[in-house]
Amino acid sequence: MSLVIKNLTKQYNRHKTGLTDYSITIEKGILGLLGPNGAGKSTLMKIIATISKPTKGTLFLDGEDIVANPDRIRKILGYLPQDFGVYPNLNANEFLEYIAAMKGVGGNSLRKRIDMLLEAVNLTADAKRPIGTYSGGMKQRIGIAQALLNDPKVLIFDEPTVGLDPEERVRFRQLISDLADDCIIILSSHIVSDIETIADEVAIMKNGMLLNKAAQPDIIKMVNGKVFEVLVNNDEVATLRTKHLVIDTGRQKDKTRVRFIVKTNQPEPSAIAANATLEDAYLFLTQNNG
Amino acid sequence: MKYIYSIIKADYLQRTRSYAFLITLAITFYAAYSFVPPPTASYTTLNVVGFKGIYNSAWVGYVSGMMTAIMLSLYGFFLVNGGIKKDIDTEVGLIIATTPITNFEYLLSKMLSNLLVLLTIAGCTFGVSIIMFFVRTNGSPFIISNFIIPYLLFVMPAMFFISSLAVLAEVFLGRKSILQYIIFFFFFGALMANINGQKNETLSVIIDPFGVRTMTSSIKNQINIQFHEHIDAVNLGFIFNQKLGFKTFEWNGITITNLLLFSRVLWLLFSIALVYLSSFFFHRFDFKQAVSKKKKSSPHEQQPAVLAFASTGINRGLMPPLVTNYGIFPFIKTELLLLIRKGSKWFWLVIVGISASMLFAPMAISHLYILPVLWFLQVTRWSELATKEETNRLHYFTYASYKPLQRMLPAQILAGVILAIVLALPLIVRYVIALNGYAIFNIVNGAICIVLLAVCLGIVSKGKKLFEILFFLLTYALTQSIPVADYLGAMKHDSHVGYIAVVLSLNSLLVLISFAMRGYQSRHL
Repeated sequence: MSLVIKNLTKQYNRHKTGLTDYSITIEKGILGLLGPNGAGKSTLMKIIATISKPTKGTLFLDGEDIVANPDRIRKILGYLPQDFGVYPNLNANEFLEYIAAMKGVGGNSLRKRIDMLLEAVNLTADAKRPIGTYSGGMKQRIGIAQALLNDPKVLIFDEPTVGLDPEERVRFRQLISDLADDCIIILSSHIVSDIETIADEVAIMKNGMLLNKAAQPDIIKMVNGKVFEVLVNNDEVATLRTKHLVIDTGRQKDKTRVRFIVKTNQPEPSAIAANATLEDAYLFLTQNNG
Repeated sequence: MKYIYSIIKADYLQRTRSYAFLITLAITFYAAYSFVPPPTASYTTLNVVGFKGIYNSAWVGYVSGMMTAIMLSLYGFFLVNGGIKKDIDTEVGLIIATTPITNFEYLLSKMLSNLLVLLTIAGCTFGVSIIMFFVRTNGSPFIISNFIIPYLLFVMPAMFFISSLAVLAEVFLGRKSILQYIIFFFFFGALMANINGQKNETLSVIIDPFGVRTMTSSIKNQINIQFHEHIDAVNLGFIFNQKLGFKTFEWNGITITNLLLFSRVLWLLFSIALVYLSSFFFHRFDFKQAVSKKKKSSPHEQQPAVLAFASTGINRGLMPPLVTNYGIFPFIKTELLLLIRKGSKWFWLVIVGISASMLFAPMAISHLYILPVLWFLQVTRWSELATKEETNRLHYFTYASYKPLQRMLPAQILAGVILAIVLALPLIVRYVIALNGYAIFNIVNGAICIVLLAVCLGIVSKGKKLFEILFFLLTYALTQSIPVADYLGAMKHDSHVGYIAVVLSLNSLLVLISFAMRGYQSRHL
């Protein structure tokens, strides 16, 4: 299964562009989408989810044009939007039955399917309570359950870990990893560690354009040997910022530990080389481009 | 007080930058045009049986001012109602609650932004009234004061009062929209009755927020003196009547008395006093106390947090096989469930009672009064039919579902129509017994019409308000026996086939617009 996106452009109005000439091929496995706010991640996901039409370009799922024939992907799509809501007067069972109807899932086995999903997201005990009384994390879990209702072959998660506590985030990542064997999963997040732990490939976006798409080690390779850490006086941090790309700072009594990526200058003699991470590569790419 | 200007400005801009407001303005322009009908029209807006005023600047200006005061009061309440609710829904209220602004200042700013919205609309009708003067009159002198005075003395105090009434309703009745609408419906009826009442003149002028009692009295007096008549009623609003012979008279406006000025100032002060009174009962966005009084937290809510996800994850191999079902019945079921669960359970008892009353009340009364009012009580249910996805931010799911246009939208319409027909069943059964197929067809056609109107206006305006206002006006007009408002065949029409054809054509148009617009929206998020 493959999703081929070619020269996609989304122009909202004369001054606002969501995507510019965006091309990418997505295969089975987990693709992590990284990018700052306004990079076009949600726009791309909405277009793949068929709820937004591109201004230009094509989208083919296994050779079939899904812009012209959106119902082709809708049957096998699981989508968790960034800012979704629920009907507060329905309970979890009723809500999932409703979403199942939207997805065209029915039959006698639907009940069992819903029960299993509620169990997987640990909402069985709350299944008969109106969703309006749920906490933010519980609502996010019901959102994840609905995305999995129709045994999807294309799963789109837009900022899925928002509202989840650290433990929930870990469990969610396990859950997604289990599903990745036979479907395309597209996952966007601001939290690089969420992507780092589970994504097979990473696509980094900025200003509606694709900066890079590759397997994680290949992306990290771009900053290998360029990442350093140094302990400096607090008043020296500003000078460092002018010379290097400062990734992180941490105060230690009257000193500051600075993690940076060298641009063209040589690192300070006291700097120690550090292991590059996906976050380093992401910041290097997004801050050096545009 | 320094915060007030910013709040009013933000609130005003937020309300006026909407499709619903634009559509309201468009309707206002048409309404203002219709306030001054041509002499050949089948209706009048100020009617004294057997007499007709000559169109001069006083007649055009005062009739326009009077109609604006009355009509804008009627639908303006619905238009501006909900300013505080918006702050609750968007949680902006929580931010406001932490600022130094006092309850009175906040409510006053809401009232003044209500006023500004209403005055914007009134400004449009004022402009149209001047244009209409030149369109409808022939050589009559243009006297600008005849246009300004009615807007100052009739419209301004009325809008002040309606603006504060909307705030008062929100403070005391909160989210009980239906109750607010019912109370306003009867309150407005009482105000209108006062205009033509036979009570003490001085008291009637004082308790008339629109100020038009002075105008109707002036017209009555002039006719009675000029023609030695004993007229005691002047009818206001859109009055459809047969063209009979009439005498013409020239009316040159009212005499501004101290009593009138006093009453106008009194209404302005009374409006502010109402807001001041409300400020003592305003919740200031703190709902916890109110909830804890009503309902103690359930034992379940006190349980410690459970693990977020099952450690076993999802074993797809153990999942039952996927069975497809692309029918619309599951949607209809859920839509009906949502319709039924909306509102209080006690209110359903009232609705069932009203519905059952149609078994015993005279059929004409049931059809013309009880059924329209019963259906109007569903206004908040139907107005949500096609807007709730977006309100609840569920539209991402619905638009990405399989064939949303062919399955979801028809299901929403069907659920709404089913509710309407079920409520009308007692009357339908009586018509079945009476073998009156025409009436049954009209009720079903009317049910479809009103639900389609809700769906269409919801989709076009992306909000509930426009339908709610229009449905209120339709219901009010229907109970006043205005033929053009008869969407459910409750009145006699010249041609059965012609009437059915009009409603069917309207339904077809509404279907067309709804599907075309929803089709576009579902692919352009």
